[in-house]
Amino acid sequence: MRLPAPSSLRQHLFCGVTLALVALTAPFPVIQAILHALLVLALAPRPGAALSGALWAVAAGWVLEGTLRLYPHLGGTAWANLTVVLLAGWMAGRWPLEGLRSWLARLAGLGVLHGLLVHGAVRLAAGPHPWGWGWLWSLLTLPLWGWLSWRLLHPPADTGRR
Amino acid sequence: MALRASRWRWSRAGWQRLALVLLWMGHGTWVLMGPPSGQRWGHASEALARPSQGLAARWAERRLAQRDAALSLTELRADRARLVAELEQVRLRATREAPRQAEADEAVRLLGLKKHIPLDLGAARVIFSTRPAVFGGLILDQGLDRGLVQDQGVLVPEGIVGRLWSVSATQSKILPADAPNASVGVMLMRSRATGVLQGLGSGRALIRYVSNQEVVQVGEAVLTSGLDRVFPRGLLVGYVAEVTQGDLELRVILNLSAPLDRVSAVLLLPPQPPVEVQPPLLAPDVKPAKKRGTP
Repeated sequence: MRLPAPSSLRQHLFCGVTLALVALTAPFPVIQAILHALLVLALAPRPGAALSGALWAVAAGWVLEGTLRLYPHLGGTAWANLTVVLLAGWMAGRWPLEGLRSWLARLAGLGVLHGLLVHGAVRLAAGPHPWGWGWLWSLLTLPLWGWLSWRLLHPPADTGRR
Repeated sequence: MALRASRWRWSRAGWQRLALVLLWMGHGTWVLMGPPSGQRWGHASEALARPSQGLAARWAERRLAQRDAALSLTELRADRARLVAELEQVRLRATREAPRQAEADEAVRLLGLKKHIPLDLGAARVIFSTRPAVFGGLILDQGLDRGLVQDQGVLVPEGIVGRLWSVSATQSKILPADAPNASVGVMLMRSRATGVLQGLGSGRALIRYVSNQEVVQVGEAVLTSGLDRVFPRGLLVGYVAEVTQGDLELRVILNLSAPLDRVSAVLLLPPQPPVEVQPPLLAPDVKPAKKRGTP
């Protein structure tokens, strides 16, 4: 069964809200990392609209690094986000989702890849840096925010019962 | 079938792809330009710029060397001009001082001769020469005003010159030894044979009254004998130039040692000097002893 794509307005609205939360949760790096992963991996990718997703991912990367005020040379996270969101969009178009389990599995794979790419790109841009625990919390809480994003993007059909 | 050229136009998806590619490449480039990469790029650019920097440094050194050389050349030219001017001044000064220097040298030589003759010698300057004329002589700048009298002997360090022939109030005239009417008592140094000198002119003279029995060699020195009471014994007159046998006497011709044509200052012997004088014992020039440790 092929799921219908979420509406564009809804997706952009969620992306905007999540981006704002990423900026606002700067004092809480773990929460910020989770929101960042949610935005990049789950909310931004959209098959057939790679540019808008790429822009959201790039914005998320710049906002995250800008609020961290940690790296001497910014841009690594944005580049990794861009790469991952393009890959995720391509995968969404190439292999359409069929359920929550496949969605979580895809998110897990993309999460691991995203963590590695972020650290590699940041290492290229800013040099060696501590890894922190954000990537681990993102993976650990993946079922939670994966399910949440699934419900937000693909709400259950209205059964008519109140 | 006619082919119709389709109008080339980018689609919306194409523009989006281009924007994505540019966005991804721009971020990638920016990431690769990070501090470590920047350092690598810096090293690479530094390595690439090293040859041009070397050339620029060499060029700057060359320009600096040229400027220094130009300055040195200018300074050298200025020094050369200054040295040339100084050299001209020195030459001019030397030219001006040359007569005085020659006179001083002559005075020194006369003073040296005066030390060897224990007599009251006077000095006079030759102010004019009439030697080229017949019976010519040398004119001195002193006369009766300085107590000169006739027949005073005149000599220079090289030898005798002649004797005073006439003395006026302020000047005197020398009868040179090569004048025909000059007569100086002489003796040969080796044989001690005596004779009378008779001038032949041009710095030559003939010794009269030397016996045929005497042995005279060419180059033998001829000294004054002191018998004429004008010159004491032992003053150099000249050297034998030619010896020929005569009927009764030897014909001995000698070259006077005194340069009669180039005399500028002379010494005057006192009138009627003793026949023989002993030269004083002069202390040899003692060199100052070197102190130990001095260079």
